[in-house]
Amino acid sequence: MVLAAIVSLFLGIVCGRWIFSPQVVALFAQLSPYVLYLLMFAVGISVGTNKLVFQKVGEYHLKILLIPFGVITGSILGGMIASLLLSYPLGEGTAIACGMGWYSLAGVLLTDLSSAQAGSLAFLANLMREIVSFALIPPIAKHLNHFTAIAPAGATSEDTTLPMLIRHTSEEVVVLSVFNGVLCSAAVPIAIDLCWRLLPH
Amino acid sequence: MDILLVMCAGVLLGARWFPQKLYRFNANLQLLCTVILIFSMGVSLGARPQFFEELSTLGVQSLFFCLLPIAGSVALVYPLTQRFLAAKQSIGEEDGHGSSGDC
Repeated sequence: MVLAAIVSLFLGIVCGRWIFSPQVVALFAQLSPYVLYLLMFAVGISVGTNKLVFQKVGEYHLKILLIPFGVITGSILGGMIASLLLSYPLGEGTAIACGMGWYSLAGVLLTDLSSAQAGSLAFLANLMREIVSFALIPPIAKHLNHFTAIAPAGATSEDTTLPMLIRHTSEEVVVLSVFNGVLCSAAVPIAIDLCWRLLPH
Repeated sequence: MDILLVMCAGVLLGARWFPQKLYRFNANLQLLCTVILIFSMGVSLGARPQFFEELSTLGVQSLFFCLLPIAGSVALVYPLTQRFLAAKQSIGEEDGHGSSGDC
């Protein structure tokens, strides 16, 4: 699956850069949300056919918030440490880390708040987070635990990295993964704005 | 939010009416959709005029702002889930093995 993901990404970049016309590129951009809906519908069927999933998730109660709490707090702390190591403005660096993998939104917001360069950095850092997550999910699921495999994915755990989580964890973890993705996605614009305003830059 | 609604519709279908003989088809459909989505992401990136320039000039900084937030997230989520979720899961699994053993 990792190989298929990397090959697909590479072929997509090559086609987008040198082969496809702008019309075809636009067509892919228009089709993507529908493919995502189809994927989520199919994932929902998988979850629904496993009768034990919701019984188990219901047993977690408020503990279901542990993963998004850890992902958001860990991303903020990681962004702070990266800023200090690179001597980068703390507020801007932490805001970049708060993208949690949602590269399109993080890039746009940082461009708006700061500069085009900060926006590009936010775009690339969060894009890398998504790509690196593809490679990290299998070993983390194998060597740590299935729940921790959600952590690198951040806000993308409800869409792009979800298939990797489906492959390498369980239906129960997939439900938690979607829940984490929804909460982290909702937190991204708020966290970026707060870090930018409250921390020195 | 739309995604959650679509997924809930799938869950409802899967829980009530989805035939077992189509499970394999459903798994293959997920794989196909995944490959198309990742390919589409690549197409969008490749079509960005400054993509390769951005990659070369901001690469090292991007790597720091990618890897350290990931490390922070994993460093917090692992002990939390190990303490509060994984232990519960393993207890549940042990119970499951125990009862099947009794049978």
